[in-house]
Amino acid sequence: MSSIHEITLMLNGDPVEAAVAAHTLLVDFLRDSHALRGVKRSCDMQVCGACTVLVDGRPVSSCTMLAVDADGASVVTIEGLGGPDGLDPVQEAFLEHGALQCGFCTPGFILATKALLATNPSPSREEIVHHLSGNICRCTGYQKIIEAVESLAR
Amino acid sequence: MTKPATDTNAARADLLEKVTGRAVYASDISVPGMAHGRILRSAVPHARIARLDDAAASALDGVVSVLTGEDLPTLAHDRWGLFLNDRPVIAGEKVRYVGEPLALVVAETPEIAEAALDLIDVDYEHLPFVDDATAALAPDAPLLHERHESIADFYFKGQAKPVDGTNIFQNYGVSTGDVDAAERDAAHVFEQTYTFPGISHFAIEPHSVVAAFDGGRLTVWSGAQSPTAVQKVLSRVFGLALSDIRIIVPFVGGGFGGKASVKIEPLVVAAARKAGRPVRVALTLEESMLTCRRLGASITLRTSLDRDGKILAKRGTILLDGGAYADTGPAVAVKAAHCVIGPYDIANLEIEAKAVYTNTVPGAAFRSIGGPQAVWATESQMDEIAEAMSIDPVDLRHRNLLPRGGEILDSLRALDADIGEMLGQAGQAIASLGGGSAAGIAVAATDPGILPLGGSLVRVLADGSITVMSNSVDIGQGVRAVLRAVVAKTLNQDVGSIRVADPDTATAPFDWGTGASRSTVIMGLAVEDAAQDASDQILELAASIFDGAPNDLRLVPGGVARGEDVLSFEDLYHRAFGIDSGEVVGRAMVTPARKGSDFAKSPLFWETAVGTCDVELDEMTGELAVTRYVGVADIGHAINPAGAEGQEEGASVQGIGHALYEQLDYREGQPVNATPVAYRVPAAADVPQHAHTVLIENGDGPGPMGAKGMGEGGILPVAPAIGNALARRYGVRIRDLPMTPERIWRALRERDHDAS
Repeated sequence: MSSIHEITLMLNGDPVEAAVAAHTLLVDFLRDSHALRGVKRSCDMQVCGACTVLVDGRPVSSCTMLAVDADGASVVTIEGLGGPDGLDPVQEAFLEHGALQCGFCTPGFILATKALLATNPSPSREEIVHHLSGNICRCTGYQKIIEAVESLAR
Repeated sequence: MTKPATDTNAARADLLEKVTGRAVYASDISVPGMAHGRILRSAVPHARIARLDDAAASALDGVVSVLTGEDLPTLAHDRWGLFLNDRPVIAGEKVRYVGEPLALVVAETPEIAEAALDLIDVDYEHLPFVDDATAALAPDAPLLHERHESIADFYFKGQAKPVDGTNIFQNYGVSTGDVDAAERDAAHVFEQTYTFPGISHFAIEPHSVVAAFDGGRLTVWSGAQSPTAVQKVLSRVFGLALSDIRIIVPFVGGGFGGKASVKIEPLVVAAARKAGRPVRVALTLEESMLTCRRLGASITLRTSLDRDGKILAKRGTILLDGGAYADTGPAVAVKAAHCVIGPYDIANLEIEAKAVYTNTVPGAAFRSIGGPQAVWATESQMDEIAEAMSIDPVDLRHRNLLPRGGEILDSLRALDADIGEMLGQAGQAIASLGGGSAAGIAVAATDPGILPLGGSLVRVLADGSITVMSNSVDIGQGVRAVLRAVVAKTLNQDVGSIRVADPDTATAPFDWGTGASRSTVIMGLAVEDAAQDASDQILELAASIFDGAPNDLRLVPGGVARGEDVLSFEDLYHRAFGIDSGEVVGRAMVTPARKGSDFAKSPLFWETAVGTCDVELDEMTGELAVTRYVGVADIGHAINPAGAEGQEEGASVQGIGHALYEQLDYREGQPVNATPVAYRVPAAADVPQHAHTVLIENGDGPGPMGAKGMGEGGILPVAPAIGNALARRYGVRIRDLPMTPERIWRALRERDHDAS
């Protein structure tokens, strides 16, 4: 059996202490231990971006990151955006532009967009397209996603 | 772009759940006591299972049970299908494709189940295999199925026509006029063959099912597009009454047909039954790629024209690669045969469509079944003919297009769109995007195979909130938003007060299924009728209280009004029922005999599409990019305009994937790229920089507010429009999809060689 590790992290702004098996993937830790079902599981091989979360602000595929490696980090999932008073501007933009259909890839796209805007508040279309190349959407044809992100560029 | 407020509101509730991550999908379902299943899949294309030893796996700590072919005799029926009874619940005597489920291990955790798979020993007795449709037709080809059991009117009207002693599981023909005579009179005869590969659905949510027995009653949560089809097949396989089977479908993370009919549900239910525990099986995307795919096709067209470019006759030979099990492949063949004619006036036709078994992933419905394959052939050939006869390609189409009201086949409803006008709009739109001088173009009309059978309940609750119960599934197309908008309009209520419940066969009436662009029309009418029924009941109640006639009264948001007097639903129910509770239930079942509808002839509407595009080719590498794309669709009326536009945009980009990269590739019976890493679907960078969708709305559809169904047609013209643009601008013609850089580069070399 694999060993158990104590980790501490900030999860959606709250401190969390947990004991995790060495082989536990971050996606399973978030979905199963913390009921953060907005973290979606699909390809399991870092291709589709559905399981994207922010680790210290960077977009990361949680299907290929171990939970132990999140020790000491700040992890943000879709549930950590916005708040009781309203939506995050990125969520609002996706909503307003109809930038989603089935919605399964949407949390990943929104978090990838958060990461982009944090480092580049006024991305060009080319930069947007390049930055979102790690996320696959099979429904929308991307057009409205690109429009939503463009609307946030300052 | 700003959207009308009401449309945004209708869509907003679902979208809000999705952008916040709160939306629940089948893969998010968890029930108490649930165990986890993982599937051992065949590593070989065709073999007898000589020995399958699961003793070590069963003995592993944490393993609950292992389902194998040995359990088949415990089932009421061990095979199932919708056209042909050809698929075992789990492989029994033999396996027929790489990826076929052989054993399903149920364990306390997915990790234990996965570990146990390695402990199962399988000895295969290899059989000759065939992974190509043409080879499967050969007289000495290995047979996948020794006999065929075609079932009539089971879930689809009519039945497949398999040929005994062959791999042919469907044989469908269209024959009109006298093609031989027409060919003798023709000034020009063109014959070309076009191929279209098997293509993966690649819905981002893989297939996911939770099955739980409670005594003799079964509940299944599945991302299924056809809950009542799943219910019916499970009822046969497990010998249960329909009323003892409850199928619940939460949000679905993409379908495109890959979750239509029935997929892994019988397998998971059999595992739950054996385990005596609720079982969850959540496939990976890679496993979903081994579960179903679009049927590949090879299509030969022989088209005869007079000297003025009028088509006199068309022969079409369509061969579809149906994979190891027929699924809905027989319907795909019928649609391909109709669609290959095109929206043209052709008096003499001989079309033959065959679908065959091969040792590959089973074929299945995929957005506009059979359509993209057929249109790729027809519309590519139209441009080849135009070029050979020195006629402008748009002009050649105008010379042959049927007018509105013309008949593609006299057994089918007359064409309900003006495709000539759509061509004009496409040309204008691409010009306004700054292009179009060397654009490729393609047109299409397809007859969605819609069975008009579906019902709903509209419940007006005491506080004025409204629950709509329907088995139409939200697979991302936004059907809930459409239903909400229809109910809001019919009952004159705020869209925000209306909730559409998750599809659930225990509470919502039968609906044939979510596919074939049918929900806006069929379920739209069902909720419109149910809402009207609720309205009639409410006005009747109110009339007794106001002491007046129902037609003096009208519904207003939150209640009923007579003149200036408004009575809330709560007050109305209080006075009518004696307590301030209760509800009014409107109900409706749309059937082929629906009053006021003409459902006698198929299709209920034509799904029409025109696509036009500009391309840029890097002649050094053969890399092709679509720089401008315009899609035109006649949809009758857009109930949810942003959603309708999104459907068209999504279809066109999916079509770009089909055209340029996508192909499920087989070598020696092995799928070589059936993984998300190796299989390329379009990414954000592949989207045309300039794109536009034109929606034609004449309010002439059979659905609510004059809507027609839509969402599938947009994919039809994409590949031939791109191929035609490539040929027109760069002088190379590709007849085999996908148009990969390598294929284009080779064609460029040939072009330059021929020129020198």
